[in-house]
Amino acid sequence: MVKNETTPKAILELDRMVHEPARLAILTVLASAEEVAFLFLQRVTGLSKGNLSSHTQKLEAAGYLETVKAFQGRIPVTSFRITEDGRTALRAYHHQLRALLPKEGKP
Amino acid sequence: MTTTDLNGPDLAALAALTRDYAAFQARKSGLATALGGLMAVVFVIAALSPNFMGAHVLDRLFIEYLVWVPFLWLAVKGLGSRILYRRLGLVKASPDGTYERRRWFWILGLALFLITVLLAGLYAFASGFLQAHQPRAALCPPPMWILLMPFLYLLPMPWAIRGIEEARAYVVLVGQSILWLLPFFIFSFGPPTPPLKTGWGIFGDVMGVSILVLIYVVLIWGALAMVRGWREHREYLAMLRALPREA
Repeated sequence: MVKNETTPKAILELDRMVHEPARLAILTVLASAEEVAFLFLQRVTGLSKGNLSSHTQKLEAAGYLETVKAFQGRIPVTSFRITEDGRTALRAYHHQLRALLPKEGKP
Repeated sequence: MTTTDLNGPDLAALAALTRDYAAFQARKSGLATALGGLMAVVFVIAALSPNFMGAHVLDRLFIEYLVWVPFLWLAVKGLGSRILYRRLGLVKASPDGTYERRRWFWILGLALFLITVLLAGLYAFASGFLQAHQPRAALCPPPMWILLMPFLYLLPMPWAIRGIEEARAYVVLVGQSILWLLPFFIFSFGPPTPPLKTGWGIFGDVMGVSILVLIYVVLIWGALAMVRGWREHREYLAMLRALPREA
């Protein structure tokens, strides 16, 4: 039984852009470094190239990350950076989730 | 792997993995530290080997090659870190002010030492205490090299030294080079009345003991650096193995 009456509303208020597991993983990785190469992000999240591209595009459209394109010699290299909005959204999501979860030892 | 397969990612582990991987490109040196330790130990053993000071390789003194060891290490380190520690692309670590300050402490410390050596050399010439001895200079590396080396060691430091372990390795290698260059400097440009005639007295004893202590410090540091570097490299390999399989 839910004791807090505001909880259902709070669940619905979770940022869905961050709540999706793949995007949550992407943002977590990006928040742990200044800039992350596409290849590393792909390997560490275990996502396919297409899937990763799709999620990063959505996150970029939401203003949560920015894409950095550069060349290493003649090879194009794509990297990502989390934006300040992305960092704030991730932090807010963690706070919201923590507030929603039952305290340890209290079901 | 699809989105739905990514069930409950261990976020803390993901963050730790990212930070560890980034650390190898920003701070940790892995095999570069081990190589620095190995080079330092080989350097000392070579320098202490019989007839080293007079040993010739291809008509040049052995020391002329040894003083380039710090640059050789920088080059191998740079190449090695690109090949070994960037297998999954570049990940820039988040800035860490405390670590940066510690790194600069080492870099500026060495810079200060090298500048002091340079200024002391210049002052000795300006005051007339040192002057070139052509007959003796012929036995030694070209004098200009000896004078230029501290300056050359200074140049690559700000961008070539990424972490504290690297800074330590560079300090040891450069320190050794300067130490072994000193006798040649004195013999090339010795004072008009060589102090060897009258003896260096207590100063000579203190210098001898200091050099002996330094040699032991370098040998111990070298051995530890090899172990530490190898361990770091194994940590890196274990981290790569812990990554999810490629999609």
